[in-house]
Amino acid sequence: MKIYISGLYSGTNPQPGVGIARSLRTAYPKAKLIGVEYSNRCSGIHWQDFDEIWLQRPWDELNLDTHAEEIRKVLDSGALWVSSIDLEIMWFARIFPDGHPNLLTPPESALAQVSKPAIAAHAGLPVKIPTFVTTEISDWDLHAFCREHDWKVWLKGPYYEAVRTRNWAEFEEKRHILSSAWATEKLFLQAHVSGYEESITLSAYKGELLDCVRMRKRELTELSKTWAGDVSEVEEEFLAPLREVIRKIRWTGGAELEMVRDADNQLWLLEWNPRFPAWIHGSTITGRNIPASLVEGATGIAPEDSPALGEEFTRVVMEIPVRPEFPLSPLPEPLGGKIGHSLKHPSGLIQFASKLHNSNFFEGKTNGNGNGSKFKAPDVPMSFIDDLSGVNLMQIETPASLFLENTAAGYFGRAGALVKELSSKELKVINAYSIKTNPDERLIKLALDSGFLAETISLLEVKKAIEVGFQPEQIILNGPAKWWRREILPEGKFYSIFCDSIEELDQVLEKLENGELHTSYLGVRIRTPNVVSRFGIPVDTPEVFEKLIEAVQKIPKQYKFAVHFHMASSNVGVGHWWHLFESILRWCSSIEALTGKLIEILDIGGGWFPEDLQKDSAENFRKAIALIPEFLPNVRQIISEPGKALAQPSMAVAMQILELRNSEDSVREAVVDGSIAELPMYFFYPHRILYKDSNGGALLPLGRGKTKLLGRLCMEHDIVASNIQLPENAQVGDILVFCDAGAYDRSMSYVFGRG
Amino acid sequence: MYLDAVSKISTETSISSSTKLIEISGKKPVYETWKDWQPSQISHHGKICCEIAREWITATDFSELNGDCLYTGPRWLRQKFNWGASTFPIYWCEVVRRDTLDCGALAALSHEVFRARGVRCYRVQLVQKFSDVATSQWTDSWNTGNEPLPWVKDDLIYHEGCAIETCDRVVKVWDASAGWWIDSKPANGYGALLAIRLSGFNLPAGKCFEWGEHILKANEWKEII
Repeated sequence: MKIYISGLYSGTNPQPGVGIARSLRTAYPKAKLIGVEYSNRCSGIHWQDFDEIWLQRPWDELNLDTHAEEIRKVLDSGALWVSSIDLEIMWFARIFPDGHPNLLTPPESALAQVSKPAIAAHAGLPVKIPTFVTTEISDWDLHAFCREHDWKVWLKGPYYEAVRTRNWAEFEEKRHILSSAWATEKLFLQAHVSGYEESITLSAYKGELLDCVRMRKRELTELSKTWAGDVSEVEEEFLAPLREVIRKIRWTGGAELEMVRDADNQLWLLEWNPRFPAWIHGSTITGRNIPASLVEGATGIAPEDSPALGEEFTRVVMEIPVRPEFPLSPLPEPLGGKIGHSLKHPSGLIQFASKLHNSNFFEGKTNGNGNGSKFKAPDVPMSFIDDLSGVNLMQIETPASLFLENTAAGYFGRAGALVKELSSKELKVINAYSIKTNPDERLIKLALDSGFLAETISLLEVKKAIEVGFQPEQIILNGPAKWWRREILPEGKFYSIFCDSIEELDQVLEKLENGELHTSYLGVRIRTPNVVSRFGIPVDTPEVFEKLIEAVQKIPKQYKFAVHFHMASSNVGVGHWWHLFESILRWCSSIEALTGKLIEILDIGGGWFPEDLQKDSAENFRKAIALIPEFLPNVRQIISEPGKALAQPSMAVAMQILELRNSEDSVREAVVDGSIAELPMYFFYPHRILYKDSNGGALLPLGRGKTKLLGRLCMEHDIVASNIQLPENAQVGDILVFCDAGAYDRSMSYVFGRG
Repeated sequence: MYLDAVSKISTETSISSSTKLIEISGKKPVYETWKDWQPSQISHHGKICCEIAREWITATDFSELNGDCLYTGPRWLRQKFNWGASTFPIYWCEVVRRDTLDCGALAALSHEVFRARGVRCYRVQLVQKFSDVATSQWTDSWNTGNEPLPWVKDDLIYHEGCAIETCDRVVKVWDASAGWWIDSKPANGYGALLAIRLSGFNLPAGKCFEWGEHILKANEWKEII
């Protein structure tokens, strides 16, 4: 018996070749095991169980046709081949579309059924697939996916690699790295599932499940790979449907189903690998030699017993002698000024992927690979287009901030209507406009006309609100330095004052007592534990909490008590924001119970994207309002601060193309007269961009492409968009309108490079 | 490991029929030394000082959940408090200010936060096997007067945790000192769980719970191996 085993990389993220060899040596001591590798840097070639090593040139040098012919000869000669390289397995499936009796890897049709992330074959198994999206959707929608999943998302390559992306800047950086590495723009984003990792590994031949075991990870490497685990039987509830699935897709070879079991005991299937796992010999140690069962299934030759040495296994690090015929190569020179020797993927797997892409090998595959994808442009609300159609974009001086009047009126009007709808006799819901979001008088006036209160963080903002028409009794004072420019403190009674610290609460109380200040409501801003913020009273130690309780107890009866909570949902994620909201309800309930001071106003702010707040007709908001009386039965008013959700869509920035640059790899650069000074939020979220040619054509939303828009500033990081698809006929003088620029883009814009 | 939550032995605990069989056979059960011990309790002064502390623990717990499932173990407690000797009785207002708590206090806190989350939960008492080296180390480091530690006997220790009922009569056992769920799979050797008793307020005697392949009868010790 001769068995070829490929994939012998044996670092901290190893391939299973060595484990397969150890298991087969136990079962078939006289078999000739031939290790196949594509780099002499893969240390598995030195493993003692291999009788021979068939060392190929790295994948990037390899003539694939010649190699395929040699493999065919090997298989025809009666030798078996067990591969542990995903890409090689996919390549085999194309070379041998109907399989080969001696090739112990799955056929093409079976691979299609297990391609990630959808893993169609999971139907019938007691598992779920974590939510995912392809990165072919627009950046606007990708950002929404990340927000929806609290930025607990993984960006995954087509075959290997998954990286966590915690914010938009990180997402853009990692997407660029993975796309370049795997020569494809088609990656996917998947929601994280928290829990314990476990796997099922199996062997099957021509659709017959031969053996399988479950393994729970008990120790992990830095990359969360298995270092130790326990092995057990697969229970019948999983086994029966698994047997059916294997039969249905006619699986041949090893496989590993990588899963996470969450706290609710639900299994989530992350990957169906078309090969044995690297820990496969751990199973053999427990008496279940799965590779041997595969060989027996294919040949009918019974293996020798693999005695159970325990129910658990672990890895150790060990040194072995190097085969004299494969002496170690020198380390490559570090690149000038760089650190390290760049030794990842020594066998050239990444180049192999690139080679297969370039030959259109994967065209039409369901696992989402390939270069020629068309990225969808984001949907742009019609009101944007309508508002912009009233502006002569060719005549304006760019860069220009454009107020989308009807859009703004629509958003403010809908917000006003929603709070009216949600208000009841017992609980009134009121909007407040956070002036810092955008202090444009037109927006402040819209807020006033729509029945909003004004939320301010300084006396200068108070002054502006009053100038636009607000009365002091319609103004909320908030923030850490609200008494700055005290000389302009207006006469009159504020609607509410929220203190940012216990010290401030003491000072405000003193001023209220001596008549220097007047307010209807007095409150505090709370910072709950486990939140990264500099604002509010942190209740993360019992000592501070106790001080807060004592301070609140001191508030005289005539001041009605209020609590403020604010966290940007666009940063922490939508789900997390709602969790924080529920958390604040509990803290408030405790404060009320411990102080006896009734909380009459709850002021909640959210840094919302409009789509998040309005999703499903503001269903989450409705649920939240309904939840409040359960915890805080004395609350009579909810103040909602949807500032960003209203201001962000209300303005756009128009800029003009100054220069078009073509480069050899066709990634164009365009210089525009706008800059990050007008779009300071560029680093935090993508903006929807409309294009208008200088001949006065229609406004076209731009999809993702390979053009970088370079801002006008002499600053390295002044790149206002890195991956847009400019029309082929784009010219100097054409206009680009960056939508969604009405919130902090506007209020935090700055003057730079204008002389 | 334990402390003495209750320095006096106030209640006789019923002993299961299987235990009786063991005793009849002449071999003492591994939990013999601790069979009448009760789970540790955190005391309340009946004043606002303790109420503030208790509210702080439960509100902090919800914040620390980060939106995860209510069955998620409160590992944050172990990040806040070191594991070590506690003195009893211990009051709520003292517990939150301590740097170090023992397994009994940590288990009691875990039980309290699960209860506040609305999760049905119980106390568990455990007997674990370690080694003479480990137990003599604990004896040296916990003891100020070279007295034998009551929770250590040879290579065995008494330990506490809590259990949550994830679905009807199915429990998971949380080791609050370690910050992990105890594996129900029997094992022998260093750190192995040898015996367990699940108890709870107003829990009817004889009520059974499923824990992995084990059936635990309320208020009765069960040897795992």
